[in-house]
Amino acid sequence: MSKLLGRENISNTNEKYRHIYVIIEHFEGQVVPVSLEMLGEARRLMDDFNQKYNSSEKVVAVLLGSKVRKLCDELVTYGADSVIYANHEELRYPRNDIDTRVIVQIAKDVEILKEISPEYESTFVKPRYMFFAADNIGRHLSSTVLAELESGLASDINKLVISDLDIRHEHKTKGQSVKYEKTLEMYRPDFSGFLWTTILCLDNKNPENLREYHPQGCSIIPGAFKPIESDNLRKGTIVEYYPKIDQDLKIKILSRRVIEKKIDYETCKIVVSFGRGIKDNPEQNIKLVEEFAELLDAEIGITLPLSKKPYQLSQNLDSKYMIPDRVIGTSGSKVTPTLYVAVGLSGAIQHVAGMKDSEMVLSINTDENSPIVDESDIFIKGRMEQVIPILIDQIKKQMPSISIRGQ
Amino acid sequence: MLNVGVIIKLEPDFSEGNVSYNSDGTLNRAETKNILGPHSAIACNAAFYCKVKYGAHISIGTMGPPIAESALKQAQVLTDAEELNLYSDRLFAGADTLATAEVLKNGVKNMFGGNKIDIVFSGHRASDGETGQTGPQTAWKLGYTFLGNVIDFDIDLGRKVVIAKRLISLQGMDTIIEEIESPLPVFITIDPSYRSIFNTVSQRLTANKFSKEGREHSEEYTHILRIFDSKKLNLDPKLVGLPGSPTIVYRVEKIPRAKTNRKTEFIDAANPDNLTPITTKIIQILRGK
Amino acid sequence: MAIVGGGSAGLSALKKLSDLNKSAILIEAGDRIGTKNVSGGILYSKQDPHGRIYNVEDVFGEDFVSNAPIERLIKKYLLHATSKNKIFTIDLTPLHEYKTNFGFSVLLNKLNPWLAERASESAEKQGGGIITGVHVSDIQWMGDKTIIRTNELEEFQVNSIIAADGVNSEVAEITKARDKFKPEEVYFGVKVIIKLPENIIEERFHLNSSEGSAHLFAGDITLNHIGGGFLYTNRQTLSLGAVYHYDSLLSNPVTPAQLVDELIKNPLIGEYIKDEVPLRKDNNDLSKEDQLKMQLSVSKLIKTYDELRYKYFSKNNVELVESGKFRNIEDIKSKIDNIKKDLIEKYGVQFVNNYVELEYSAKLIPDGKRCMMKKPYYRNILFIGDAAGRGIFIGPKIEGLNVGIDDAVRASIAISRSIDKNNFDSGYMGNYYESLINESPYTREMNRIDEDYITLFLNVTRNISMDSVDPLFGFGLGLMKNKRLRGIALRLVNFLGYDKVLPFIESEKAYVQVPILLANKLGSIVNSSYAPVIPTLPERIAKLQYNDDSESHITVEDKRSEFMKKLILLCPTKCYSLEGKDVVLQHEGCVECGTCSIGTRWRHPKGEKGIVYRYG
Repeated sequence: MSKLLGRENISNTNEKYRHIYVIIEHFEGQVVPVSLEMLGEARRLMDDFNQKYNSSEKVVAVLLGSKVRKLCDELVTYGADSVIYANHEELRYPRNDIDTRVIVQIAKDVEILKEISPEYESTFVKPRYMFFAADNIGRHLSSTVLAELESGLASDINKLVISDLDIRHEHKTKGQSVKYEKTLEMYRPDFSGFLWTTILCLDNKNPENLREYHPQGCSIIPGAFKPIESDNLRKGTIVEYYPKIDQDLKIKILSRRVIEKKIDYETCKIVVSFGRGIKDNPEQNIKLVEEFAELLDAEIGITLPLSKKPYQLSQNLDSKYMIPDRVIGTSGSKVTPTLYVAVGLSGAIQHVAGMKDSEMVLSINTDENSPIVDESDIFIKGRMEQVIPILIDQIKKQMPSISIRGQ
Repeated sequence: MLNVGVIIKLEPDFSEGNVSYNSDGTLNRAETKNILGPHSAIACNAAFYCKVKYGAHISIGTMGPPIAESALKQAQVLTDAEELNLYSDRLFAGADTLATAEVLKNGVKNMFGGNKIDIVFSGHRASDGETGQTGPQTAWKLGYTFLGNVIDFDIDLGRKVVIAKRLISLQGMDTIIEEIESPLPVFITIDPSYRSIFNTVSQRLTANKFSKEGREHSEEYTHILRIFDSKKLNLDPKLVGLPGSPTIVYRVEKIPRAKTNRKTEFIDAANPDNLTPITTKIIQILRGK
Repeated sequence: MAIVGGGSAGLSALKKLSDLNKSAILIEAGDRIGTKNVSGGILYSKQDPHGRIYNVEDVFGEDFVSNAPIERLIKKYLLHATSKNKIFTIDLTPLHEYKTNFGFSVLLNKLNPWLAERASESAEKQGGGIITGVHVSDIQWMGDKTIIRTNELEEFQVNSIIAADGVNSEVAEITKARDKFKPEEVYFGVKVIIKLPENIIEERFHLNSSEGSAHLFAGDITLNHIGGGFLYTNRQTLSLGAVYHYDSLLSNPVTPAQLVDELIKNPLIGEYIKDEVPLRKDNNDLSKEDQLKMQLSVSKLIKTYDELRYKYFSKNNVELVESGKFRNIEDIKSKIDNIKKDLIEKYGVQFVNNYVELEYSAKLIPDGKRCMMKKPYYRNILFIGDAAGRGIFIGPKIEGLNVGIDDAVRASIAISRSIDKNNFDSGYMGNYYESLINESPYTREMNRIDEDYITLFLNVTRNISMDSVDPLFGFGLGLMKNKRLRGIALRLVNFLGYDKVLPFIESEKAYVQVPILLANKLGSIVNSSYAPVIPTLPERIAKLQYNDDSESHITVEDKRSEFMKKLILLCPTKCYSLEGKDVVLQHEGCVECGTCSIGTRWRHPKGEKGIVYRYG
């Protein structure tokens, strides 16, 4: 049995890899929400990490773009210790090939540590951890970046823990028990939604195949974590990075066009839907639902018949709500919010199919025989015109701090 | 001659009535049939489009145990492919996406006797692993330009360029369709919403013809099946399978969920006081989770 | 050339033209062949001393009967007069056999794809083929070119067109080749497919293997409408439905579902359709997760039970033994019984008498004798089958599919001749087609009463003492029994015009009152052993499959007309409702029957969109 590397070597390995690099996404001059969520989680993890291991590693945001300097400050207020900002005309829109190369350049750049964390400059080789968003862009970007860095990636993560683990693995440790320090446990929910699979990215300690695998990469599910409260007093270093851009760029962007404003039910904790119960005074009743939904920071959905525009409404409300995109049900969206409020809708089978997996269902209807009652945890028998104002009133009284949250 | 490669995967059949779950909610793989993964099938459709419109030759590859042959057979039905490749070796077992990409890279390089593949298609993600990483990583190792979330594409054979439309929808943001151009070779991950559109009578008739031939030829798919092991693919054993995988599965556990069943609580709004407990519950939700 | 519409008529035209070595493409709006077809239905092969008839086996091969996926060879044809629980049955089998080679019950969603395979094989040899998922939106003539525009393809040119797109023909509508059919010219048909194991069907209907029976119903089940119900035995299903004159529905509106339900509630039919059906129990005392798991296990078990049971009660039950899964047939039965025991004891499932509905459907049917196109062509377009308003419906004679097939062959001959001479002028091609159509014995039957048929009818009803039932009717029938009188009467009728005497034949008296009297006075009592649980309309619609299109394919023209208001009841899938004073349309459940086409701008949905029938 060949001797495995001693404990000293484990620490050495760890010294080459520092910090969490968070790859930021932005769109039309705004930071995409998931990036702030990742920074939040990175901040929390790093604070615990530094305390536990008595170190001063950083949360480093990596921002690629063209003329988006102002976003850097925002990133600091949301938890970034440093922002590496690669500013170049060619980085204006995300393109996988060039973005991958630039991020890899940044990841391997030792010089930059002079400004971020000089205390680690002499030993730094690559980031310890890298976070990406698990969305259209981030999933692919994370794959190619980690392929180029020849390290491991776990995708669609919704829970992260950094710990020291004793691992015994047929190949990685050749059956021996080895302590892996500062390992990122990456939890991903499986397809059934019932199971968590924990993925680890581990160095090979097997003498027959020694290999170091860093950074430990993961792509994070939007909505899985919360950002920290934005703090203007936070200080951070913003470093402007001058990437080497390969003149032989492959992808040429011909055009970009917005096709529809997507209504995002997935990240909503609360969804409020209405149906034909608004018929007595559609204009006013929709506004009432709006007020209620705004208070709850909820997204609004409708039942299928309403998307056929059966009511005379002002242009504004009509184009905002009476559209197929708002439909919840088999021909629309399936939602699973923490709270689903069904206002003045009877609960047709195809509608119920779209919301029956909601955690809690509250329905308001004058008819206790409507099918929606069976699908409800709480059924309020009453007219929406009476019930909703009372609820709004009571909520405001009990939660004075509630402010209208804009997007 | 346009050479098109397709990377596919054999996956469990998750459709209602075919899938089988264990008592703890995990997939019972033994009882669940395996089929050509649905996203892989869409990738096949994209390749078929190239065949009908541009007369492309198609080569299909998959990494897996011997039973993965059935995925290749199903793929041939969809594409009337000229070549089917199975990359199978015990050394490939336990591979994560990076180690898989290593195998697929060499697989693609060996398609059509080493003739360069102009376009490789792969599915968006597998229905069981669902990482969506293998495609881009294989692309990167091949040095092909990677285009993801492609919903539509056309090829300018003269300029050897692909013009594609990509769907970018970031959570919380507007959905964008981006039109891009890239020289061949490219690696395209097809968006699940992709549908081949044959919009002339002659394309439709050609598609009919190839579909029919695909079905017929798939009955004797073994004639065009090539099986590669790690030696034939010239692979370094250290870079494939478990040895070549940076990541491992450490643990699988049930996600704790407290699902309540719906016993409907009936509240009469005639008395506003009845609504107070509800308000409290709502506020709990607002504050809490 | 192009054939628009992939029903049995269109497919026959494609096959025939291809066999005449002509290249033709067939355009079908549904995403697959068969998904938009509905029929009663029985497919006949006929022969007639008055002329040649082109039957399905002439087009698709002598082996049609042995190889095509047809259901049962109809051997018995019975008419049941109903009045509550009293039924009077008349054996009309001789009428069914009159001039008939064979009549098979069919399910078009199964049959048409088979026809399509044969047709496309022939067509591909000629460089043609079948294109599905394409909806014709416009036809234009520019100079000597005929251009077809569709929603899905680039426009293309053809030299001629066969319009085989059914009773709601859009080719007719787009080109204004004829007017829309009026309510008095069409029938409204609605039906459900009911599931029943093969051997049980044979036992219950006293059939030999692969044989079937057809049943017609008249009397109180009509809810006072002119027409009647039908029940046909298929292999492992029953087709149960009703067909009524559309104008009689307009004057006495009722929901189509009610028309079917009335049949289901009839005790004789109830006994015909009943089966032992597993009824699940709700387990609300378990956690949501456990409930879900239990639902999955029960579903799986019930599925296994059903499959095994159907297989056991089928001709193919030996296959299970041959496969090695079971030692012998009794083994299968005991496995079924064991699963049943498990379901009852472990999961609280109950087995009750009920019936199993699979698919609800509806369609308009053109009454050939009232609306067949005298000149079934327009420029270089030939109309066949339902699109030409052709079909034979009088009393118990119900023939549509075979007429379309015969028309298809004639149209193909006319087109082939024109291709050879490169002359598609209406004077050359259309005229010729018209002459071929006029030679068809079917056309003859749509124009005049067949004396031999009447004689036969009188013969089979001769033993019924009609005088005791309805003296006037009895008297009339008595007169007709005299051969000379009959001859004179019929010649007079054919002289005056068929349509003049129809109101007497197709009257409430004939379809409703007399049968009720027959049943009351001469019928026997049939008691039902259970009360069928009838699915609600939403449940029926939920079972239907659709490819949704956000855009509506139908536009209401006058939102406040009386006609539109009636549609609120008459639409078989309740797509119309009242909002204030306006009738509004929600098109999502539309089954494209055409009931509303007279009062709307009616189009089929875009290619692949709309209803997707599974049985037809």
